[in-house]
Amino acid sequence: MTDLLTTVAIMFIVAGPFLLFANRFSLPSVPFLIIAGLVAGQFVDDTDLILELARYGIALLVFTFGVQISLSSVRTVLVDSEIAALGQIVVVGSLGVGFGVVLGIPVEEAIYLGVAVALSSTIVGTALLQTEIRRNLVRGRLAQSIQFVQDLVGIAILLVLGAGTLAADPIATQVGYGVTLLLVAVVINRYLFEKIGRLAGDSDELLIIGVVSLLVAFIGAAELAGISIIVGAFAAGLAVRHNPTEHLGLFNGITSIRDFFVAIFFVTLGMLVTSPTVEKLILVSGLLILVAVVKPVLTTGILIYQGYEPRSATLASLSSDQVSEFALIILIEAWLLGILTNQAVFDAIIFAAAASMITSSLSRRYAEDIYQVVSSLGLYRWGNKQIDERSEMPDSLSNHVIIVGYGRQGPKLASACRRLDQPYVVIENDPGHREDVVADNEAYVYGDAMEPYTWEKAQADSAQLIISTVNSDPISERLLGFDFDADLILRSDEVEKANRLLDSGALYVTISDMLASEQLIKQLRALIDGKMTREELKENQQAELELD
Amino acid sequence: MPIDSALTVDLAIILLSATVVGFLAKQTGQPTIIAYIITGVIIGPVVLGIVEVSELTETMSELGLAFLLFLLGIKMRLDEVRHILLPVAKISIPQMILVALAGMGLSLAVGFTLLEAFLIGLAVMYSSTAVVIKMLNDKDEATSLHGKIDVGVLLVQDIVVVIILAVLAAGRPDDITQVATTLAVVLVLVAIITAAAIGASQSILPPIFRRIADNKEVFFLVALSWAFLFVFVSDEINLFLAPLGFEDAYLSIEMGAFLAGLSIAQLPYSKELQDRVNPLTDLFVMIFFVSVALELQAEELLYYWQEAIVVALALMPIKLAIFFLLIDWQGFSLETTFLGSINMMQISEFGIIVGVAAFQGDFIEVEVLGFLTLVALITMSLSVYFIEYNHWLFERTRPYLSRWDTDAEFEGGKREYNNHAVVIGYDEVTRQAISLLNEEYEDVVVVDRQVDHITTLEENGYNAVYGDFRSETIRKDAGLKRADLVLSSSVEPAINKALLKQAKDDATVFVEAKNKADARELYEHGAHCVIMSTQLAGDRLVDYLEGYLSDKEEFTEAIESGKDLLKGEEVFPDTYKRIRGGLDD
Repeated sequence: MTDLLTTVAIMFIVAGPFLLFANRFSLPSVPFLIIAGLVAGQFVDDTDLILELARYGIALLVFTFGVQISLSSVRTVLVDSEIAALGQIVVVGSLGVGFGVVLGIPVEEAIYLGVAVALSSTIVGTALLQTEIRRNLVRGRLAQSIQFVQDLVGIAILLVLGAGTLAADPIATQVGYGVTLLLVAVVINRYLFEKIGRLAGDSDELLIIGVVSLLVAFIGAAELAGISIIVGAFAAGLAVRHNPTEHLGLFNGITSIRDFFVAIFFVTLGMLVTSPTVEKLILVSGLLILVAVVKPVLTTGILIYQGYEPRSATLASLSSDQVSEFALIILIEAWLLGILTNQAVFDAIIFAAAASMITSSLSRRYAEDIYQVVSSLGLYRWGNKQIDERSEMPDSLSNHVIIVGYGRQGPKLASACRRLDQPYVVIENDPGHREDVVADNEAYVYGDAMEPYTWEKAQADSAQLIISTVNSDPISERLLGFDFDADLILRSDEVEKANRLLDSGALYVTISDMLASEQLIKQLRALIDGKMTREELKENQQAELELD
Repeated sequence: MPIDSALTVDLAIILLSATVVGFLAKQTGQPTIIAYIITGVIIGPVVLGIVEVSELTETMSELGLAFLLFLLGIKMRLDEVRHILLPVAKISIPQMILVALAGMGLSLAVGFTLLEAFLIGLAVMYSSTAVVIKMLNDKDEATSLHGKIDVGVLLVQDIVVVIILAVLAAGRPDDITQVATTLAVVLVLVAIITAAAIGASQSILPPIFRRIADNKEVFFLVALSWAFLFVFVSDEINLFLAPLGFEDAYLSIEMGAFLAGLSIAQLPYSKELQDRVNPLTDLFVMIFFVSVALELQAEELLYYWQEAIVVALALMPIKLAIFFLLIDWQGFSLETTFLGSINMMQISEFGIIVGVAAFQGDFIEVEVLGFLTLVALITMSLSVYFIEYNHWLFERTRPYLSRWDTDAEFEGGKREYNNHAVVIGYDEVTRQAISLLNEEYEDVVVVDRQVDHITTLEENGYNAVYGDFRSETIRKDAGLKRADLVLSSSVEPAINKALLKQAKDDATVFVEAKNKADARELYEHGAHCVIMSTQLAGDRLVDYLEGYLSDKEEFTEAIESGKDLLKGEEVFPDTYKRIRGGLDD
């Protein structure tokens, strides 16, 4: 067995138990891979070759980012939250650089501290928020788009990083090469990729090897042109961007290969770290405070200023309180290129990254409590004025229905109320739905359903029925906790939770899936009993879809 | 730390040229292995000489073999192979002795010395694990009966290789007792590690993997970690034995990888892992095949080229005949016998490795090693075609083989579903429907990614497949292509479109969608009914609201029956029997 394989074997063997530990306590795996690297580093002397494998990990990370990037989502994000993201990057980044300079680190090296604190992790951040994103809650979407902007900035920094330093040619030429490479990628994507896909036929093996070759070719081209291989990897990603349904096997295959090399990358990072000193400890704690405290506070401020209500703003910001894997890639590229030579800075950023990813999953777990504590300190009080300004309520209402949420179900309920001449109030906090809320309804409150003031404003004490269309346990529990006189119809997605809510006093709990299930059974039965053919079913269904 | 920022050029050349040749081969209908071997010949010292073996490529090709065997291990469920263990042992041992004797005789006939001929005999008795298993995997025949026989024989051969390598590594033995000791040590080691692997699969692995099975990434990495643990222990076995006073023990990393896979195969979560490990294996095994021809100079490789061609061409039919007679002797059907033996005609890459060890142990000259490599290359390349067209060849030769057409004692193969119902996802939407379908269909296969769901389903007598429907293996296992009805509660368009593409034309397909745009697209792709739970639920909720505001009595009745369903303890409720209309009728 080659020495290199022995090293890889040791890395994976050590990583195993750490991954089990992380999984046991529902913590993200990245920091534990880094910690595994610290341990594995004790058994391995020579890291040169491993670094080469690790760089394939970096290339594959950037590559898959390029593959998955969707131009339409870039556009949506650019109208949604770019100010919050960019403002946060600039301010927190500058604080990071300033912190380094104060400690006597030269500006050109302190920049990496800035990058580290400014960017947050997509892998960790959005993974933690999967449920919120799936349920299309404001904070999930916000956090996702903030992180997306940060990723784009990260890529941009990487592109510039390569251009500025390998300078055999003037920077303009370098950028020219980079742009050419990206253009070639777009051309390949448009004209060549599908052809390759057809040539490979049903063989996933050939397609995967073909795509990996393309990646290697782009990296090689980047090296020949003297620009960063990251540009090459990103361009290769753009070149094979495709609809995942077309080549499911390719997508799965690339993910496996990436996971393998990326694991090597993170473990290698840990192996590169040397033992701690006082200077490093100071640096690490400074970085941690910036990332875990200053950054979320600042982002919350910016978001509230932009018009998001305090709770969504706080919860979204709390998901960005960690160092990004992109910051680590930038770090290691700078290290390999010899631009960054300060071991203390290097180590501190890696430590801070690992630590912040762990603290981040904790802050995520206790996000609701953190919000309650800050809220009880009265720090969001000026938010009430905003609710007043943005809501529309008649002076006194009684026996009205309160509809919580104005997504898909809300508008249907509202129009039913109008049809029956039933007075009602809509409560919504998503700026994305604001236009519809204002256009459709006479009475509405623009505020968070978790906030007592929102309910005071909606005159909940005199309402007869409250229907929540929001599938969120904290909100459901909070509503029950308010102990209104009105009847409560709540929404959940699990039988167990629904039962708990019923026991705690809800009049009824709806579960979308169960309602859908009833519908499904009706249709299956019709088919089985021969009352309807499949073609008739299809016709009916399609007609109904267009009616709605 | 000054580090060259360039990535290895060699690897890039290997990848790119293998891709080009691979695509060419695909267009002309040749197997990819041939493409890779030829790539190695072209870019290696034999023709162009632009690539040499580096530590990186060597590592990757070692990884390739290790992953290939790991993958194979994952596929071997002991309860499925147990019944062929004895016949496999009875086939493999005489087979090796006979082939070794034949190889030795042939070598003597073409002019090698007795010692050389003896070692050539030892080197040619194995069939190629890499070729056979790769081909079986590609053709999806690894778990067929003849596949299992071949795999079993290959593993016995692996153990023998390990033993012979251990003996050769010790250099020229002083006496027969030294050979005997080495033999004994290796056998004991293999037994210990096998016992450890099987023990682990029954004790520590189930709870560990049950916990992580729902986290794809961790699951994959921990499985790799487990594989590397076995690879490492096998490779560094001397490190562990040194305190006990042993030296020169030898275990192959392939053996370790296989046993690691074998222990995972006994768990219910192994199916999905196959699809995760497969791409990595493909990539690294490609590098392995390319680098086979990278090692030798042209003059070393071609010194005995005439002898190599003669021996290769003579040895293949001899191997075929020996395998055929032995497998037939064990009472397998004619088809199994034919397929099982035609797959095994080639000389193994282990033959080359044995050659290398013999060369290093000063038993043979480098030209003899070249001869062995050439024989391996020729036989591997030719045999790939025989394996590729094995079924066609069988149909052609069957009339001439009738005297061996006996009643088969062994039956095998996995269960195949036909005209059944496939349900993707066990959740609130499908739960009641599954009970309904179970009344109508002989088989209902439910695919789900959560361990506790699988347990529940199996306890209630359903056919449950654990895994992600995104993966081809899982779709095959569920028999999607032969299903009469498919019901998917996944809202991912990718999964739904994939299944619409593969389901047979007259199958009825229900899928779920998140929004209208997806729903329209799915109808276009051929779905008969697209369920949209939020949409439906919205309408339903309006019914409730109207009931509440205008007809309290009807409303109360409706929510009471809803609550009954919520409170019900039944896993598979028969409430579907009551559902006819809704609140509104």
